[in-house]
Amino acid sequence: MINVSNLSVRLGGRPVIHGVSLEALPGALTAIVGPNGSGKTTTLKAISGELSPSSGTIRINGRDLRGLKPWELALMRGVLPQSTVISFPFTVREVVRLGLAAGANVDPAVHDRVTAEALEAVDLAGFAGRFYQELSGGEQQRVQLARVLCQITDPVIDGEPRYLLLDEPVSSLDIRHQLGIMQLARKFCERGGGVVAVMHDLNLTAMFADRMVMMKAGKVRACGTPREVLTDETMEAVFGCRMQVGVAPAPHVPFVLPQTASL
Amino acid sequence: MPRSEALARGMRLTAFAADIRNEWRSGNRSRLARLVIVALIALAVATFVGSIMTGAADASLANVWRWLMGEADQALSIRDRIIILDIRLPRAVLGMLVGASLAVSGVVMQGLFRNPLADPGLVGVSSGASLGAVLLIVLGTAAFGPLFALFGFYALPVAAFVGGLVTTLLLYRIATRGGQTSIATLLLAGIALGALTGAVTGVLVFRADDKQLRDLTFWGLGSLAGANWTKILAAAPIILASLAVTPFLARGLNAITLGEAAAFHMGIPVQRLKNIAIVSVAAATGASVAVSGGIGFVGIVVPHLLRLVIGPDHRYLLPTSALLGGTLLILADMIARTIVSPAELPIGIVTAFIGAPFFLWILLRGRSNMGL
Repeated sequence: MINVSNLSVRLGGRPVIHGVSLEALPGALTAIVGPNGSGKTTTLKAISGELSPSSGTIRINGRDLRGLKPWELALMRGVLPQSTVISFPFTVREVVRLGLAAGANVDPAVHDRVTAEALEAVDLAGFAGRFYQELSGGEQQRVQLARVLCQITDPVIDGEPRYLLLDEPVSSLDIRHQLGIMQLARKFCERGGGVVAVMHDLNLTAMFADRMVMMKAGKVRACGTPREVLTDETMEAVFGCRMQVGVAPAPHVPFVLPQTASL
Repeated sequence: MPRSEALARGMRLTAFAADIRNEWRSGNRSRLARLVIVALIALAVATFVGSIMTGAADASLANVWRWLMGEADQALSIRDRIIILDIRLPRAVLGMLVGASLAVSGVVMQGLFRNPLADPGLVGVSSGASLGAVLLIVLGTAAFGPLFALFGFYALPVAAFVGGLVTTLLLYRIATRGGQTSIATLLLAGIALGALTGAVTGVLVFRADDKQLRDLTFWGLGSLAGANWTKILAAAPIILASLAVTPFLARGLNAITLGEAAAFHMGIPVQRLKNIAIVSVAAATGASVAVSGGIGFVGIVVPHLLRLVIGPDHRYLLPTSALLGGTLLILADMIARTIVSPAELPIGIVTAFIGAPFFLWILLRGRSNMGL
């Protein structure tokens, strides 16, 4: 379990996160949503250990983040950044295999198989020989996800769940790949791992997330299942935008259309 | 029988080449890289031996070879032996050391700054190192007596190292904000620092006496002409130590090409990596500058050429750069000392003639993905 309690973070001396508490359970996809600048990415960066909190504690599987070395963290969680620019001519295969060195795949005998499966999982089989720099933004994002999957291949090791921290994993993908990647995240949860994802698309979130954490101005405004969080009231309170939450043809999945907004 | 054997060997070679080509197509360049390492070792050895056997003096190729093989003790005159043992050999050794150090420093710096244009010579680390050396020469024992007492003939490399280190730290401080290094700021800050160190050096030159001036002129041009065993003894331990550290940086440098945050996510202790990398670049550059002055472009040309062939994986890029850097510098030195023989050109001129157009070519070719 990832346990964030009373987290506050300052960026350049300015407080941006105020007393955020949240839990991300193994086996569940936890989505962090909210308007631009609400502190979603900052919260994720604090969970990944990249930013150190000014107060509050973060625990992964019961262990305080402050006591963990970078390589210990690398065995417990993988992180997908929003976008990654590389200025050297790496091939896709080479980028993806950088993840192998970081994770628990120490046996070189499995390296080729893990690499191939990771590329397959993000629908990039056959891309191994392409140059990273020549790919589109969406393809690059999927290469990075494959790299993370090489680091965190098994959702559970020795009974300890592992986590994927994804910062807008589908922001630059087409709709087919948005669904594909969200399904991949779901499967990772079903196999016992945990996923924390910063999301923009509320409907994809409602469709795939087990829990939603809705943030505004550095604070958690609502938290619970998508049905509990996505209501007309929270939408207006958080996004400042009067909208009607509907329920899609598939049962119990709320959706919200921009067409319903009264601005 | 021998014919069919030759045929079989030919077929094995063809199959091997096809393997390598297929691996390349599927994005796997590791076997090719290992092959390149072997080829470069052979090339380095050949160049090294070749450079010992060529020069203005008429120690003929065949005689040197026979003497090296211990066949004929009388094949070489005493004079020729001195030329070889005390002039050409230290020069080749120094060329190998300095070339390897410049190329590897280039690789490490480029990895650290995530940009193929970062080079100790270009961004002012070398001029900082020169300033350290010039300060020592001009102010000399008066100001730095304790340093001489403490370090002996290591004083000059140490002074250059400190100069290089201060410049590198300053550059990193200026160009990096919030974990992101701006290459534009880096290059511009490099120019500014270069101008500043140049100005200070100018003041020192103005104050210098005749003997000091002669010593100083040497820094500006860059040359292996002053190579001797004392210099090698002073520089080699520092250069070899910093080269020996770099293989341990390879995985970290690979990770950091994805950004400092991503490297941390992949388990790299980023701050420690940066500290070690900066100190080793400053040490290698400082020691090189101390013994051979400012030799430019090796640190850009060599890694870039190798990345085109074997890719940017630092596990292979570091050793190949060391080998090719050393080889190229010896070759450049052979050109420098034979092209206007019996006089010789400073080697910095030769590397600039080759390197500067190459640098422009890189710029024009890769403007879009260099973050400029």
